Amino acid sequence: MTELKDFIHSTKPASEPALSIDGLCFSYASQDSNTGTQMAGNLLFSDASMCLPQGSFTLLTGNTGSGKTTLMRLIKPELAPTGYRKGAINVFGRETTSLSVAESSTMIGYVAQNPETQIVCDAVWHELAFGLENLGTSQEAMRRRVAEVAYFFGIEPWMHSPTASLSGGQKQILALASILVMQPKLLLLDEPTAQLDPIAEKNFLHALFRINRELGITVLVATHSPETMTDYATGALRLEDGKIEPTPLSAIPAKAGIHNKLQIPHDNATDSTTINCRDLFFRYSKEEPWVLRGFDLTVATSSIHAIVGGNGSGKSTLLNMMAKAIKPLRGRVNNLHSSSQAILPQNPMALFVGDTAAEELKEWQQRCDYSDEEIVSMVDLFNLKSALAKHPYDLSGGEQQKLALAKILLTKPKLLLLDEPTKGLDTSAKRELATTLLGLRAKGVTILMATHDLAFVSKVADNTTMIFDGQSACSEPTQEFFSNNIFYRLPRIDSTTNELNVAHEKSMREDESKTDS
Amino acid sequence: MSNMLRWQGKNTGFELIHPGLQLTYFAVVLVLTMTAMQPVLLTISFISALLFSFCVRGWQTTLKTLVILLPLVIICAVINPLFAMMGSSEVVRFGQHAIYLESIIFGLCMGMMLASVILWFSCASKILSTDKVLAVLGGVLPVVGLMISMAMRLVPQFTERGKLIGSVAESVTSARPLTKRDHITSRLRIVSVLMGWSLEESLQSADAMKARGWGATNKRTGYKRYRFAAFDLFASLALALLVITCSVLAFVACSQFHFYPTMSTLTLWWGYIPYALLMLLPLVVRIVEDLRFKWLGQA
Repeated sequence: MTELKDFIHSTKPASEPALSIDGLCFSYASQDSNTGTQMAGNLLFSDASMCLPQGSFTLLTGNTGSGKTTLMRLIKPELAPTGYRKGAINVFGRETTSLSVAESSTMIGYVAQNPETQIVCDAVWHELAFGLENLGTSQEAMRRRVAEVAYFFGIEPWMHSPTASLSGGQKQILALASILVMQPKLLLLDEPTAQLDPIAEKNFLHALFRINRELGITVLVATHSPETMTDYATGALRLEDGKIEPTPLSAIPAKAGIHNKLQIPHDNATDSTTINCRDLFFRYSKEEPWVLRGFDLTVATSSIHAIVGGNGSGKSTLLNMMAKAIKPLRGRVNNLHSSSQAILPQNPMALFVGDTAAEELKEWQQRCDYSDEEIVSMVDLFNLKSALAKHPYDLSGGEQQKLALAKILLTKPKLLLLDEPTKGLDTSAKRELATTLLGLRAKGVTILMATHDLAFVSKVADNTTMIFDGQSACSEPTQEFFSNNIFYRLPRIDSTTNELNVAHEKSMREDESKTDS
Repeated sequence: MSNMLRWQGKNTGFELIHPGLQLTYFAVVLVLTMTAMQPVLLTISFISALLFSFCVRGWQTTLKTLVILLPLVIICAVINPLFAMMGSSEVVRFGQHAIYLESIIFGLCMGMMLASVILWFSCASKILSTDKVLAVLGGVLPVVGLMISMAMRLVPQFTERGKLIGSVAESVTSARPLTKRDHITSRLRIVSVLMGWSLEESLQSADAMKARGWGATNKRTGYKRYRFAAFDLFASLALALLVITCSVLAFVACSQFHFYPTMSTLTLWWGYIPYALLMLLPLVVRIVEDLRFKWLGQA
């Protein structure tokens, strides 16, 4: 077995490109493939070419539907879609179609979007060993490689945990680690951070950065929000009109942020409260630690109230309790609008039942009595027109989030409970969401959201509560919250860089050091 | 943390040996307890199981189990003489029906055997966590081991999801079902969402498996977390020796003993000592381990 050292040296920049694509044409086999003319219209790629030098970290950008995923899957022979295909894809000088399963899995690693679906086994150690078991690796080699990778990613403390008990971020790190244990030289990632919250995303990108720089593994990431990754990348490609064009990193869409002017002053602030609870106690079972122990919360009517706190601090539990889906063991929840509330779950899949996005929006039409015009305006509001005909599961993470939100907004709730609403959204979508929420507040809707995203909170929330150790550590108007907090806050930013992402990243670093310690 | 502890099992002294050997030990003890129908041997097994249960399951849990087990023993002692009218020393007589002391004792022994088996089983389940059983299985049949491992992940995930979908639907009160028909369809809705979601994910999981070399070779290997060390070999030999001795002694003890028509008299016999040693082995190991750490701590 190759030692890690040799392995690193062997992947150091050499003359051979890690990946080269020459004149790739591809179309899905939907129509008669005998006549070329019929094919031309459907070609997803036409004469596309690209080249990745060894040890590079490249971002693959492009609009939704431009074929990022198809391209990634074409490179990985086991996942390659069937259809009309022409041109060559070479990985380290080898034509991918000529690779055996064993060769392909040791050369090309593939990490998909949703960490949940990539995990196969019930225990972390078994998951790490899964790929090696498939290859029939010997016991000693397997033990050594699992150990190496577990140390590299700091997995050792949770080596024996059941995979179901891991957080989303840990799951994606595990998915990455269980690919790297097979020592691929080229790593393909298809929107790997779309399902992660901002802190987990940052952690994951750090891990990816280390793999690239410390181990020299060539990385290609398909993403719709490249701005979070530009610090790590060495180059970028853009997929457009069936061609792959290199773009300079500096040309990555402007780091446009939610500007302060968005702050619509709200006049209908009232003294009445929608949610009021005192001294809540809760834990899931007798053996488990308390999630909430003496939590107080007051949410003013027609205000946006944010609950911030680390992973596993009980934010989701709290939202479910406010929705009266779970009962506190002690204390009472007074929810004025408990009969007219809607919740956006952390995973929007829990809401989807239709075969198309359009059907999804119509599910509750009879029951809640909203018109087709209202659906149309909601579709316009969330920019979902192109998604309407698709199956909800085929949408990107961000689109799913928007569809779920549109679906519950159509029911015209008076209280909106949002669990990580900015998860998977790119900057422009976040801005749209902020505008929508502020608009709803103006109409008298009360919004309670649990989130990691401090930058988003600072722009939209009226009041912010920090949950810590099962209690409300502080609950203040957002402006005061951020000016009184010294560590858990957005960094001071000078006027020239008053941009969400910069602020975002720095706050995330702060968050990270908080959660790490 | 609590999760991890549950997964790894408590410190019982059993971690010192290979899971295969742990499994064998419990299998042997159960078989001996179930076959050696002799009052002294059964008492030894029962007391050992009880003491070991106090040790690994805690006194509170054990007492709770005893509250159920003691009536069971009594019921056995009452029911057996009603059906087996055998013996020589008559206790009472109801017309045609005579109750004999021998059959009461036989019933008591039956009950004690049942109680011991239940106690041994609950101790074993505390020590033999699923991952240990899987490790033993996975070593022999890697594919079966993997399938069980996958099922262990999917089944709880499935139920958990069902609950989540239901709770989300119920939380959206702005679209709460109004008519009776709506209530019925809401059940169907949960199933339909769950099926769609799970199917979609299983397709993605299949891709993830393919991407990681599934089916690359015919000879799949299994990652062994436990290795069979020289100590395990020594321990197995010692255990085998002890088990053979005990089996022979138990056979002798049982063949010389009879309940009916008159019960044989029980005498002090050296042959009970190895049997007690086998049954008390985990407890002895545990106490030795505890003392060792105590001395280490003081040193």
